[in-house]
Amino acid sequence: MKKQALVLLAGALAAGMSMTAMADLRLVNGKIEVDAMLKDLAAAYEEETGVHVEIESMGGGIDIQGTLKGYYQADNMPDIFVNGGATDFANWDGLLVDMSGEAWVDDTEAEYIDGNGAVVGFPYTTEAIGLAYNADILEKAGVDPAALTTPAALQEAFEKIDAQKEDLGLTAVIGYCAEAVNLYWSTGNHIFGVYEDGGLARDDTTYFDMLSDGGKLDEERFTKFAEMIALFNQYSDPALLVSGTYDQQILNFASGKYAFVTQGSWIGATMTADDADAYAAAGNFKVGMAPYAFVDGIDTIMTNSPSWWAVFNNDNAEEAKAFLQWCSEDKGQQILVEQAGFISPFASCKYVASDPFAETISEYTAAGKTSAWHWLNNKEGLAQNALGVVFQDFAAGNMDVAGFVQAMTQVCAQYYAG
Amino acid sequence: MGTNEQGSKGLSFILLAAGIVMTIAALGLDITGSSFAFRGELLILGIVLFFIGLYMIPTKKHHRKIIYFIFLFPLLFTFAVTVIIPLVLGIGYSFTDWTGIRFTQFVGLSNYTSMFKDPAFIWSVLITFLFVIFNMILVNLIAFLLALLCTSTIKGIGFFRTAYFLPNLIGGIVLGYIWQFVFSNVLISITKTSWLSQTKMAMVAIIIVYIWQYAGYIMLIYITGLTQVPGDVLEAASIDGANGIQTLFNIKIPMIASTITICTFLTLTSAFKQFDVNMALTNGAGSVPNFMGNYLSNGTQMLALNIYNTAIAKNSYALGQAKAVLFFIILACVSLIQVRISNKKEVEM
Repeated sequence: MKKQALVLLAGALAAGMSMTAMADLRLVNGKIEVDAMLKDLAAAYEEETGVHVEIESMGGGIDIQGTLKGYYQADNMPDIFVNGGATDFANWDGLLVDMSGEAWVDDTEAEYIDGNGAVVGFPYTTEAIGLAYNADILEKAGVDPAALTTPAALQEAFEKIDAQKEDLGLTAVIGYCAEAVNLYWSTGNHIFGVYEDGGLARDDTTYFDMLSDGGKLDEERFTKFAEMIALFNQYSDPALLVSGTYDQQILNFASGKYAFVTQGSWIGATMTADDADAYAAAGNFKVGMAPYAFVDGIDTIMTNSPSWWAVFNNDNAEEAKAFLQWCSEDKGQQILVEQAGFISPFASCKYVASDPFAETISEYTAAGKTSAWHWLNNKEGLAQNALGVVFQDFAAGNMDVAGFVQAMTQVCAQYYAG
Repeated sequence: MGTNEQGSKGLSFILLAAGIVMTIAALGLDITGSSFAFRGELLILGIVLFFIGLYMIPTKKHHRKIIYFIFLFPLLFTFAVTVIIPLVLGIGYSFTDWTGIRFTQFVGLSNYTSMFKDPAFIWSVLITFLFVIFNMILVNLIAFLLALLCTSTIKGIGFFRTAYFLPNLIGGIVLGYIWQFVFSNVLISITKTSWLSQTKMAMVAIIIVYIWQYAGYIMLIYITGLTQVPGDVLEAASIDGANGIQTLFNIKIPMIASTITICTFLTLTSAFKQFDVNMALTNGAGSVPNFMGNYLSNGTQMLALNIYNTAIAKNSYALGQAKAVLFFIILACVSLIQVRISNKKEVEM
């Protein structure tokens, strides 16, 4: 009896020993499409410093914050993990490392700073939201994209292209999709975000503040926004409008079947990878971005870091900070920009991404014509649980502009109240 | 003998005491969040020592009880860790402002009151009940008809049984995505706009998919029931000149009454817990223009999905927990009624 107990004890202790292995870093990445590139990044870092970085990628509809909460409960937190905005960072208030003293902070303006002034988010890419267009088609149709800064100009351009649809080989003028189950994020986050920030200075939070204050919408501005959505509904591909998918939307745009598409710069990666054949067949046309000009004079596209890497405050914090510093430097940037296709938020970066939208983003950035993404701080789940369906309802023809404005006003107020 | 027993007694008490101290110390270390890595081993060691001590207590009178307890312990422990403790914690969390990471204060019943003030939640409860009623009737009806077909003498019975049962072997998420494709890409040529984008038709779609998934399973139970109807009774009926319909209503259905009860409750509880098909097919989307004066955007969101979205997507873990407690109470009531009715039937038989 006693002997058996001793054996058990010895076994248990041995198991305990082997579990306390040496410290490696673990990074939870929210962009599944760059999983392989980040693993290359980790391998390069290991070669240089001997520190192994485990890349754990999540995406494709997985609720990352929910999974991370599970990890936290199970005492299995990664050392570095992705956070998408104020609501995400608020979850981890007091549990993250302040990186204010790091060298990379002086090299960028895109770091995430929390309410107490601490730098808690490391930016790794820049994305842009704008009305993406096929420059070749616009040129053939005789539309100057630089002039698309008023609702009237937008309407005129749509009509002009619609009239020559067949000559240009187009299915529809615009690929706008308001499907609410899988694409709520496009309408409810990005396009709704245009209402919040379109045309505003980067630090202007007028409409975001109104929304945060009990879900209020500015009726005049939102009505103009709704008129633009009505225009999209009218000229979008009916096969895509209510029941399409993201893949369909991007494939058709890459095949040159739409002149415009209501997606942001991230589609560049899809066009040059998954849809490369169709894109090549359509002549690898030049792309660009116009502002969503629903009010006269809107001439900005919206650029931001879509999410940040945060360092969890544990024993590995110093190593994690060193890794992030390395990522912001020459070797790390080369892999992140040239392989992962990220558009660098760091001033010292000398690499240029091969992304089709890289050029247009740098033009807008250089001209100072960018607005921020305050929708990142919208109440959690707003797009999925409230807004997406209203966009779909509007697209399905169940309401007019006034009805859409009214429903949105009601839905936002309700969501912020409950 | 005397000294031996004394020694054994002393040893057993030492082991018992050491075991208890080690267990408490390990739990204490865990609660205070100590980084002492051996606390797990300490806990196991403590429990093992405790049981060795318990086993060695020199008593004839209670020996049997001690043995029973030692044998039952692993099961009781597992049950407590996986069912009882989470249930108690869950109910506890529903009175706090828990975020999934930590909670700062107790909020009393406010989660429960805000839940009933939320039209979206009331809508979810209503459509869940509607869905349950529709399903209970339709699944049983269709399953019973299929069972009749599959116990008749047509050719290829084996094939039909397998074919009807097959959808049940596909997971709900996969099934949801398959049917999403069917509704949005195939049937759209007939329906013009996708059923899934209109709330009422989306509900119909969910019911159709659910029947498709579940009827085969219930059919199998009915087949078992029908094949157990004694042959001599059926033979007697046919000698007395009963036709097929009379045999069905007067002989077969009364004979399988207990099967019908079982199937009814099976469909009832599983329809209440409907989650995966709902999530994959519509994810709760659907517009309701005017419900209690509000525009709702969760037209097809049933109770289980509502709880999940409240906790995960809206990040209100405590509110979601409160809704889950209500859900538990509803299901517990249904199960209790089921047990009572089944017991009554058994007595009558």
